[in-house]
Amino acid sequence: MKKIDTTVKKESLYILIWTVILSLLMQSVILILNRWDPSILWGNLLGGGAAVCNFFVMGLFVQSALGKEEKDAKNIIRLSQSLRFLMLVAVGAVGYLVPIFNVVTTVLPFLFPRIAIAFRPLFEKRKEGE
Amino acid sequence: MELAIGIILGCCALGAGLAMIAGIGPGIGEGNAVAKACEAIARQPESKGSVTTTMLMGCAIAETTGLYALVIAILLIFVAPNILVNILVNTISSL
Repeated sequence: MKKIDTTVKKESLYILIWTVILSLLMQSVILILNRWDPSILWGNLLGGGAAVCNFFVMGLFVQSALGKEEKDAKNIIRLSQSLRFLMLVAVGAVGYLVPIFNVVTTVLPFLFPRIAIAFRPLFEKRKEGE
Repeated sequence: MELAIGIILGCCALGAGLAMIAGIGPGIGEGNAVAKACEAIARQPESKGSVTTTMLMGCAIAETTGLYALVIAILLIFVAPNILVNILVNTISSL
């Protein structure tokens, strides 16, 4: 089995940390609004796990594609995008169909990696400033 | 009443289908970006680390467009019909 690139590990860890932070924030907001129940927590765990898994699998596919020819790389990434998209659709459907998951808190964490990336330049600028 | 519910469900399904058109773009975009990254690494192999990091972040950002569409589609299929049908029933019963 091919070794996982350190960049992929590092970035996945960054996304994982931010997903946990944002999930805690979402849980606390729902708790403050007095609408919390266990299905919200389970939905959040399912959606957050799927979001981090999606990013990690994307990293693995990008890692394998970078060593290939241009055309092969293009095809690998298109295939991976379709498969990961299907995985997220399946997770969303499970979130709705299985009553122990709340569908909204299952779907919302899919967008957490984007928020994590939006915050990234702030920390990079700080590092450069130091 | 049945016709109104049918129209609501049909419109929700149609909206979800239209939203999923946005899922086509990220695949094409990511493919092109990775192909260019391969070219860049072939030219400058020493920059592999920074290219991979930029690549991953770029792919994640490109994919978000599709994810927005996916979230909208899931909410339109699973959440919106119940809410809209409830609003319709309440409106009709209050008349």
